[in-house]
Amino acid sequence: METFVIGLSIGSILFMVALGLAIIYGTMKVINLAHGEMVMIGAYTTVLATKHLGFNLYLCIPLAFLVTAAFGYVIERTVVRRLYGRLLDTLLATWGIALILQQLIRIHFGLGLFGIHIDGLGSDLQNVPVPSELQQAFQFLGANIPVYRAFLFVMALLLGAVSWWLIFKTRFGSQLRAVSVARNTASACGINDKRVNTLAFAYGSGLAGIAGVLVSGFKTVSPDMGTPYVVDAFLVVVAGGVGHLMGTLLSAGILGEVQSFVATWLNDVYGRTVLFTVVILILLFKPQGLFVTKSR
Amino acid sequence: MRMMEERMTYRTASLVAYVAFFALLMVLPFFLNSFWTNRMATYLVYSICALGISMSWGYAGILSLGQGLFFGMGAYMLAMSLTLADPGNNPVPELMLLNMEPDAVRDLCCVTTGSFLWIPFRWVIVGILAGILVPCILAAVIGYVMFKRRTTGVYVSIITLAFALIGQLLIINNQPLTGGFNGLASLASLEIFGFEFDPYGPSIYYLVTLTLLAVILLARYLLSGRVGQVLKAIREDEARARYLGYDVENYKLFIFCVSAGVAGLAGMLFTLTSEFAAPSLMATSFSISMVIWAATGGRASLLGACIGALLVNFIGSLASESATFQPVWPIILGGLFVFVVLVMPNGIAGIFKDFFDRRSAPRTVEGR
Repeated sequence: METFVIGLSIGSILFMVALGLAIIYGTMKVINLAHGEMVMIGAYTTVLATKHLGFNLYLCIPLAFLVTAAFGYVIERTVVRRLYGRLLDTLLATWGIALILQQLIRIHFGLGLFGIHIDGLGSDLQNVPVPSELQQAFQFLGANIPVYRAFLFVMALLLGAVSWWLIFKTRFGSQLRAVSVARNTASACGINDKRVNTLAFAYGSGLAGIAGVLVSGFKTVSPDMGTPYVVDAFLVVVAGGVGHLMGTLLSAGILGEVQSFVATWLNDVYGRTVLFTVVILILLFKPQGLFVTKSR
Repeated sequence: MRMMEERMTYRTASLVAYVAFFALLMVLPFFLNSFWTNRMATYLVYSICALGISMSWGYAGILSLGQGLFFGMGAYMLAMSLTLADPGNNPVPELMLLNMEPDAVRDLCCVTTGSFLWIPFRWVIVGILAGILVPCILAAVIGYVMFKRRTTGVYVSIITLAFALIGQLLIINNQPLTGGFNGLASLASLEIFGFEFDPYGPSIYYLVTLTLLAVILLARYLLSGRVGQVLKAIREDEARARYLGYDVENYKLFIFCVSAGVAGLAGMLFTLTSEFAAPSLMATSFSISMVIWAATGGRASLLGACIGALLVNFIGSLASESATFQPVWPIILGGLFVFVVLVMPNGIAGIFKDFFDRRSAPRTVEGR
């Protein structure tokens, strides 16, 4: 049972990171390797806001969303926009952006060069204070469950529900779906496809920022913390089926559980090895992902 | 007729570029101290990596993000032999003594689980052959499953990336066999027929340069003819190439294996110049770096890819010498990737080609 809960929380983090990536990759066909850096920036926003503004973890969630969404907005407008239709090139360019963002944190956004140091930035590891009610544990079905893990799970479901509502129930969502299915037709029907893409990119980045806040609550924060997340999250997206929200949810859950159970049974390294093997097998035998969206 | 002439000038210019490049490389050590000779040798190793990328990505459109796996395997194979050649590791490597059970027999057959796998590596020639063959075989297996399942495009990149991650994890995890996170670092110098290659002397440098020359010639031989044309056809439109009757899967498998072998070869040379092999060689970031080198120089140009790898690394090491530039370098590097992708998708070689291609043909991105 405890293993199951650990798997659930791994899956929750995976899902929150993957959700933004799924929206970006699924609708725009852009591989955003800087997505992990959005997690990192979300985490650093938390570090800075708790240190300098006296925010608690809950208040950091909307703040980090706004900050990373702004980063995403700028990245889309300056670089990604010019690369639509060049899938593998987006991968290279966003990797370059990821390098830049990591280094900017390390050198205090350039201020470090002039001897100005901001507490909370730089290449050292950072920690974030967690509200005391999240540090406790409760009993459920005879198992001891830390509140934080339950909190992660609830947040993941909440973000999933909000995204589902946004994509399937709002005007913006229907425009987004229209653009992702047939960009030119949508554009001809009067949808501002560029604006829709920019907003979707910013929203996806913002989701990663929220994931960053939640990650910072149980892991140390460092400039290169994002890279493993983007790789894992991308595997989740393609394994779940591109452009399929439910698929992303289920594959994040499944992959989180697989990793958790194998890790408990053997060790952490085998947990990840098996995770990658499962993804490879899925891609080889069901290249469309586990759950295929029926296309016309 | 005019077109013919212009083609000739481009061809002549390329030839001049090749000759000038290698002439420069041959005389370079006379102007460098031992530290820089060693550095340049390492960067030339990276050039060989970029060549491998250019062959599979530039020509056939197969973007492997697991090239580090093949590079690392090559490095490990030779490093195993060189570990055993070091007198301090006789009869059993020190790393195994640190990890063995207290009552284990001190022999390679059974000192730690799986240590018998090391036995053939007592002969350096086995290490050298395995350094090319193991990556090739590995690539053949991975490629066979991938291409027979008709996996294409970005999925190939992801699957190769996942394989590289698995390789890295397995090596870190099997410390008694592989040295784990620290890798293999107490190595003897390579000795062939009584001649010892000194990592800081010109001998290694020339070994790398001549290997690079050999690989370029081999690549040109393979790719300038029919095979190269078919690969380009596959890159442009795989389905059409298949309908025209070409065995697309086998062509792809072939170039994927060659590219892996080239990466393995580069890995071995890396072990010689840098005197270690570690799991970090299989890291995602390193594999992506290789792709960037090739992209900077020009993905569809063999010489361009070499020059790209040399330039990026050379400027990088110049920057890391200076206290002011060292912290900014990763930003410049990241900016360079973005710039290359946005502004010059065919890299340095693309600019060179445009200069001669004044026939105002529409510019196309090769090898997307």
